[in-house]
Amino acid sequence: MSEWKELADYFRGRSMWMLHYCTGCGAIELPPTMTSRWDMERFGVVPMATPRQADILLITGYLSIKSLKRVVYTYEQMSAPKWVLGFGSCTINGGIYWDSYSVIKRLDKYIPVDLYIAGCMPRPEAILDSFVKLRELIKKGEAKGYEKYVKNFEWYKANQDKVFRRTTPVLKKPEEVTKSA
Amino acid sequence: MNSNLIWLVFTPLIGSAIAAILYNYKFLDRLITFSTFAITLFLVFGTHVGQTYSMNLNFMGRMIPLSWNVTHLSIFMLYISIVFGTILTFYSLMDRSRMKGFLLLLILAANNWIFTTNDMVGFFFAWELMGWASIVSVLGGRKERKSRHAALYYALMSIGGSYSMFFGLFTLWRLTGSFSISSNLAYLSSIVGVHPWWVLGIVSLFFVTFMIKAGIFPFHTWVPMAYAYAPDTFTPFLSAVMSKYGIYGMLLFLPISLMEKGMPTVFGLPWVNYIFVWIGVITAVLGTVLAFFQDDVKKLFAYSSLSNLGYIVAAISLFTSVGVTAGIYHAFNHLLFKGALFITLAAVISRSGTSKLSEMGGLWKKMPVTFFTFFIGIASAAGIPPFNGFGSKWLIYQSMIKQHLLFATILLFLASTGAFLYLFKAFHSIFLGQLSHNYDNVKEVPVIGQIVEYLLMFAMIFFGIQPGYILRPVGLIVKSVGLNPLAVMGNGYVTGMFSNVDMPLIGWSLAISFVFGFILFFISAKHKYVSQEDNYTAGQIPQDWGLTPETYQFSWKFYEPMEKLFAPFYRIKIDGFFRGLGDWTRITGSAVKQVFVGNAQIYTLFAVVGLIILVIAGWVA
Amino acid sequence: MMFFLKLIQSIGVGALSISVGLLFMGIGRKITARIHRRYGPPAIQNFIDVFKLFSKNSISHGFAYDLGIIAGTSALLAAVVFLPVGQINLFPANSSLIMILYLMTMAYLGMAMGVSSSGNPNATIGISRALTMMMGYKVPFAAVIFSVYIFARTGSLTNIIAAQSGGLLNWNMIRLPFGFIAAEIALQGMLGEKPFDMAIAPAEIASGPMVEMSGKYLGFGMLQHAVGIFLETGIMVNLFMGGAPNVWIFVIKQFELFFIALLVNAILPRFRVEEGVSFMWKIPLLLGVIQALIVVL
Repeated sequence: MSEWKELADYFRGRSMWMLHYCTGCGAIELPPTMTSRWDMERFGVVPMATPRQADILLITGYLSIKSLKRVVYTYEQMSAPKWVLGFGSCTINGGIYWDSYSVIKRLDKYIPVDLYIAGCMPRPEAILDSFVKLRELIKKGEAKGYEKYVKNFEWYKANQDKVFRRTTPVLKKPEEVTKSA
Repeated sequence: MNSNLIWLVFTPLIGSAIAAILYNYKFLDRLITFSTFAITLFLVFGTHVGQTYSMNLNFMGRMIPLSWNVTHLSIFMLYISIVFGTILTFYSLMDRSRMKGFLLLLILAANNWIFTTNDMVGFFFAWELMGWASIVSVLGGRKERKSRHAALYYALMSIGGSYSMFFGLFTLWRLTGSFSISSNLAYLSSIVGVHPWWVLGIVSLFFVTFMIKAGIFPFHTWVPMAYAYAPDTFTPFLSAVMSKYGIYGMLLFLPISLMEKGMPTVFGLPWVNYIFVWIGVITAVLGTVLAFFQDDVKKLFAYSSLSNLGYIVAAISLFTSVGVTAGIYHAFNHLLFKGALFITLAAVISRSGTSKLSEMGGLWKKMPVTFFTFFIGIASAAGIPPFNGFGSKWLIYQSMIKQHLLFATILLFLASTGAFLYLFKAFHSIFLGQLSHNYDNVKEVPVIGQIVEYLLMFAMIFFGIQPGYILRPVGLIVKSVGLNPLAVMGNGYVTGMFSNVDMPLIGWSLAISFVFGFILFFISAKHKYVSQEDNYTAGQIPQDWGLTPETYQFSWKFYEPMEKLFAPFYRIKIDGFFRGLGDWTRITGSAVKQVFVGNAQIYTLFAVVGLIILVIAGWVA
Repeated sequence: MMFFLKLIQSIGVGALSISVGLLFMGIGRKITARIHRRYGPPAIQNFIDVFKLFSKNSISHGFAYDLGIIAGTSALLAAVVFLPVGQINLFPANSSLIMILYLMTMAYLGMAMGVSSSGNPNATIGISRALTMMMGYKVPFAAVIFSVYIFARTGSLTNIIAAQSGGLLNWNMIRLPFGFIAAEIALQGMLGEKPFDMAIAPAEIASGPMVEMSGKYLGFGMLQHAVGIFLETGIMVNLFMGGAPNVWIFVIKQFELFFIALLVNAILPRFRVEEGVSFMWKIPLLLGVIQALIVVL
């Protein structure tokens, strides 16, 4: 059975289908990564259209709280085994948005991140390097973020709810707005 | 002398009388209908080819000879119509639609009479009985006003057909002095070489009637209306059995082969047959194209019936051995799968309460047996082997190619591909996609309905894999009309002219590959079932977005690109011609009515003028 | 005994079709990459993808979803055993072309049923586009195959191959050139390559039919595409290139056809659906009809 798992991991490392969540400014680094100059397809990485099909969720940069909600929904729609790549310093510590009220600072608190790509911006070489790193991690069986998410589901949910509460509107009805004015 | 033939007609009539008395007790009405169908089926078991019966009916001092004659064709049609009728009436035991059992029994009496009679008087009477009983049956659909309108339209078309047949019948009687169908046909084929145009004229009078009944272009306009607004359990009979009366009539008259006897030919076919092939092809294509865009599911399948009858007419008009075999075989296949489809539609409509495609969706979880019956039904209708429906379509193509009718074949292929499109549209809009919360309480049909559905599923698979059981009797029919029957190699073979198809082999191949598919499916990694709300919505959370199953169901304007493509053809409307004719009649009628004002002086004037004309006429004479 | 022999041979043909199809897809990706001046994935990339997909967890929307997607692959595998592949012709008496085409329809129906029962409108829009396009390419293709029927006086692929024996000049490709071009354009639509790939437009309708497919379902979809490539190019080879003396030459001939489709795919953008259909009903159908007239008259 373990040989079978090793074989499966070998194939998983060589065929990583990617869903890129492109709200951040880092999205601009992806077209050169995909196309002729850097060509990520040679590592078996292909962009995919929906979370159902994808293995990797690539978060390109900062996430506002509202978009985090979508990211969590998308992440939960993906099938295991699945991995998250945090791209750019925004996903690590907030980057230049470190003091913004509406942007999350550490992605790791809300969904498990398997690999960060540091830099603002990381170059396409760094992205390609991350794919190779992720392949090694999968081969060694260390990239187990999706299992961590299931194990610590309550913790992640609590963290998520804490910030999602902020997205609910303060004023419920339009009448209240006119009254207060 | 076999008097059981007359009982074939009288048993349903007696049953109809009893059912009509008990009409208010709906279940009893249905039960009597079902048992009469079953008894008639037993009577048919005792009927054999070659049985004859004749009697003289004293009608106001004049002897009218009535005669019965059982041919291969009539026994085949009797069997398929009565077996299907029995199944349908069994289904209708639990049904809530307002189909009237005694009217169905009247149609059954007419059905048996039409298929066994050998005299034109009986044929005409039975035809009228069938016509009027079916017209009254169309009344009482779910939509009162629309079904009344449909019945009126149908009645007008039927009357037109009846006049035509009446005229043809008495023309023949004047020529031969006999009402017997077989001797009249023999007379017609004997004079066809001398007076081809006369024969053509007389035969076309009959053909107009048959084309109206079968709903062939350009007389197809009543079909969608009547099928769509008839009671849901009557539509299967209308589509599966009653459309075949026209085909039966055509098959009676087609053996007057206009082929070798001095008529000009096109592609080796007499030009009349050639025209009929094209009428069939046009019907097939027209039905398909119009079916794409229907939102009423029964209307969609009405157009589908139209299209299939086009196939049948195109095939039998060739009047070659393959053509006739394929036509009759397709008539049987159409009866089976379209009957099954309309029965499942009745089930769906009775459960969901709507016939609009845009209001349904996702019902497969609620009605799995109906879903599978419908699935096999559309697979048959699309001509997918090994279900029934493939063999006949395949033979039809071969018969057309044999005559080098390439364009007609291409158009038929287009119609067949299009059939797949509209069938899938109906399939998706009813059973697949998102289940609306309105249908949370929908249940599967009752046990009786499920038994019928299992039976139909079995029949569609069985006659698909074992076509020999149908092709042998069809071969006998083909032989009896004077053509070489196709060789039947075995029960499992459809034998064409270019190659054979071994249906059980296809069945095996599919079964084995499905086994492999399932093995692969179950040994590979796990899957988990999710609800329909857990769906790809581009990251948007459905609840926040106010998304409902109805808004996430795609069934409106299903083939919009097609609509754009066919837009120029929409402006042409055959219906308009008949409507124009209707308007013209009304205007003329009201003009005539102007004359008959309630004024005595005017009538006196008429009388005087008439008298003067009479006197002058007599004087001149 | 005979039964088991045929069974094992059929399994062999099925395995062959899957592997050749996947290999073609991989080589196709490589060639497309080279046209784009990229390095491209290894040629066996699609094998890796399929293995990965079957080892990945997945979600399903119910029994109809499972059944439909299995039917998509299985029905094509059931059809492929009737195809004469080089010297392997398992059922020579039973290789009617129309039968194979209609059996392929079963696969489309199964696939359409599966993906539509997921309840995602993107999937259904994709299916509706695919079916509309099918209506487009089936008509010129029908014109061509009926011309071949009349020309060869037979409808069985075995006999069509036999009628073309005796050298290059006897191939239908040379004898029926207009028909070949029409069928080649129809093949482009059949394979779902650009400019006729509107059914799986990833940016418009989120890859259409594949939208809700994950893990092994996507794996089945990939196998179906692989077998589809094998079957469709195989039919073309038998119809127009005189079959082949053995499997290797057969696969090479198939690859030639696939290669042309690839090159067109790599350089052309996508049609709109109605444009695609009306293109199919203009140029290829016209060519097919010209061919038909030449054959009939």
